[in-house]
Amino acid sequence: MERIKLETKGVSIEFPGVKALEDVDFSIETGNIHAVLGANGAGKSTLMKVLAGANPSYTGTVLYNGKPVELRTPSSAKELGIQIVYQEVDTALIPSLSVAENVMFNHIVMNMGKKQFMKWPEIRNEAKKVLQRLNITDINVNTLVGSLSLAQKQMVLIARAIQSSCSFLILDEPTAPLSDNETEELFRLVKHLVETENIAIIFISHRIHEVLRICSSYTIMRNGKIVDRSMITDKTTTKEIVEKMLGRSFEENFPKEEVPIGERAFEIEHLSDTEGKVNDISLYVRRGEIVGIAGLVGAGKSELCKTIFGALKKKEGVLKFNGKALNIKTPSDAVKSRIGLVPEERRKEGVLVSDTVDFNLSAACLNRFCKLSFVDKSKTRENADHYVGSLGIKTPSIEQIVKNLSGGNQQKVAVGKWLAADCDVYIFDEPTKGVDVGAKSEIFKLINDIARDNNCVIYASCENSELLSITDRIYVLFDGKVMAELTTALTSEDEIMHYAVGGKAPYQK
Amino acid sequence: MGTDVALKKPMMVGNKTLGRFMMDWAAVFALVLCIVIFTAIRGTAFFSKANLINILRAMSITTIFAIAATVTMAPDGFDMSACTLASFSAYIFASSFLWFGMPLFVAALVTIVFTMVLYLLTMFLILVCKIPDMLATCALMFVHQGLGLWWTGGGAVSSGMPTRWGTQPIRPGWTQEFLNIGRAPYCIIIMLACVLFAFIFLNYTKHGRYLYAMGGNKTAAKLSGINVKKYRFLAGMVTAVFIAIGAMVVCSRNSAAQITGCDNYLMPSLSAVFVGRSVGGAEKPNALGTMVGAALVAVLENGLTMCGVVYYVLPAVKGGVLALALIAAYATKKEE
Repeated sequence: MERIKLETKGVSIEFPGVKALEDVDFSIETGNIHAVLGANGAGKSTLMKVLAGANPSYTGTVLYNGKPVELRTPSSAKELGIQIVYQEVDTALIPSLSVAENVMFNHIVMNMGKKQFMKWPEIRNEAKKVLQRLNITDINVNTLVGSLSLAQKQMVLIARAIQSSCSFLILDEPTAPLSDNETEELFRLVKHLVETENIAIIFISHRIHEVLRICSSYTIMRNGKIVDRSMITDKTTTKEIVEKMLGRSFEENFPKEEVPIGERAFEIEHLSDTEGKVNDISLYVRRGEIVGIAGLVGAGKSELCKTIFGALKKKEGVLKFNGKALNIKTPSDAVKSRIGLVPEERRKEGVLVSDTVDFNLSAACLNRFCKLSFVDKSKTRENADHYVGSLGIKTPSIEQIVKNLSGGNQQKVAVGKWLAADCDVYIFDEPTKGVDVGAKSEIFKLINDIARDNNCVIYASCENSELLSITDRIYVLFDGKVMAELTTALTSEDEIMHYAVGGKAPYQK
Repeated sequence: MGTDVALKKPMMVGNKTLGRFMMDWAAVFALVLCIVIFTAIRGTAFFSKANLINILRAMSITTIFAIAATVTMAPDGFDMSACTLASFSAYIFASSFLWFGMPLFVAALVTIVFTMVLYLLTMFLILVCKIPDMLATCALMFVHQGLGLWWTGGGAVSSGMPTRWGTQPIRPGWTQEFLNIGRAPYCIIIMLACVLFAFIFLNYTKHGRYLYAMGGNKTAAKLSGINVKKYRFLAGMVTAVFIAIGAMVVCSRNSAAQITGCDNYLMPSLSAVFVGRSVGGAEKPNALGTMVGAALVAVLENGLTMCGVVYYVLPAVKGGVLALALIAAYATKKEE
């Protein structure tokens, strides 16, 4: 097999006011699994979009086996065998079409030539064959993609990518939504592909331990530039990679602030939802306490948060605050009961992306700023200025549209909204998802401050190291049930994992 | 006993639960149910060949316009102005036949070409000016109405009337061939041909699948290399042809190009598309579903009239059917 080499020379991209990529020399050769690493906003995705032809405004050259090529459209990238599986699988799939069509989509778009009619039996059979290559048996090619699970959708996308001629497969954060089994399956497949076919995999991930396991080399990006490119050996450590990513050494554990813990305030008894994702969960939170909810993806963490908040339907169970039962049927009831939720899908659910910082920060308690139903602008401004200052939200002005802020600052707005509403119970669902490490520590500090003000905090995350550093107690969920209640000071990542994968027997060291 | 089993495990049909299956075929069940009930009440007065032709004739125009809407809506487009454009096209059809004495075939061709040319304006607003479909076509509704009446001189185009310039038309009246277009069996044949064409076009050609892909996820379609503007344009042009065909059938049925003669078909045709959307679990506008939707409304109108329900109450029934279809499609969905 003749190796194929893809290189970029001096590739730059400038957005108004920002240099997203600056003079990037990147190269990859088939037969490798290569990791591209970097903090949020480092330019990984932008570079990958250039390779995939989705970023036509780049300057500089791209070389394919030494020959300059133009990657200005998605189809020109595909003709060279560069395929990308985007992080947001839903953006690339067509929910109203069948699995077969989605898998064979590139074929249908690119290779039909002068043929006008669809050969349905052929398309179904081909799709079946591709799925077999991936060892996927539980997906019927005739079902509509809209009815599949997230992991299945991703499998469909990978199947689509390897279906057509593929020499460079870019996987953008592929393991983020997958369970452990599914991740193993993906790795098996990726290794198999590189061994049997003339293909290179570009693997983008934040999970450095996965990168160390599966990749043979890595490129690290920072602020739109490539800062390092090395082989991965047995001696490569997570610590050194993180240091290169951040450009400074980084203390992984955020010190937990000691806060005096008060009475039991918020209690949940036998909570179940109508979908079966939350099963008979009982827990309590004391004043000043941060309670962690651990569990793998799909264990029911988000569903629990949303059921408490009234965003999902409750089947059974009682919520109590200070011993008084709360009647929460809708999120609006929850807000009246002074419960705030910072949801996982920040852009979709947490902030009003096309509104101003000012409006977002007053959105949860607009009543307070109203006179006879008229909004008093000067009061909301005062409120916004206060929280922009106290939370350290980096924004040119409070009239800035939230969409234009960075992920971490958007998250601070999502938190600030509830601070303005002065809640008693704050629920955080994966608050550090998609924010870089610097912003992460600021968010942790913020959550610590909330707890110190005698509030109850529920913190759901699948990052166990975060739970260990910030919480007081941890409930581990599996399959919608509480498997264990652990005291953070006395537990370990291993113990959490033991229960998170469904271990019933008591944990032994 | 049966319910016990159902409680333990949902009944399955193929790889779907029974409930989902029922919802997918709800429109078809409703159609069959209506036929059974009306037959039980009115016997052979309802269930006869003559009445079947009645129903098919009644639904033919709505179906043709609904097919036009189906093709527009497949790539997630929308056209509020389809039927005002059809009224305009009908003026053109009648005037080129009567005033200018063109042969029927040439008049039909002129109408189709004219409709496509005027549809370029719609496409210009949507694709070049990037106005959302709904707003662009909303504005064009008025443009079509005004320009159409400017062309006719403010009145209908009918036999025995002078042209807008006050001269005598070249052709004094309609011919038999002209009138046949709107009569059974011809209008039914035209309708079936339109449905068949749209069915094959949308399901069995790559172009149709591209349109559906755009309707399902425009960004994905674009990033896969589909020229979405080109295909939105193609959908528009196909729609224009169907609009022209519908206009000609209406014109012939009424024996005149009446003022705003087609305008009232807009809502029934959109309803037919919505009712047919979920037929067979397609979850997208599709030709056969659209025909089922149009048939359901036509059967109800026909049967209820036979049962002595006064005509002016019928819109409420149509509205009820549409509401039920939308309930089947949306109320059963999981909340996101």
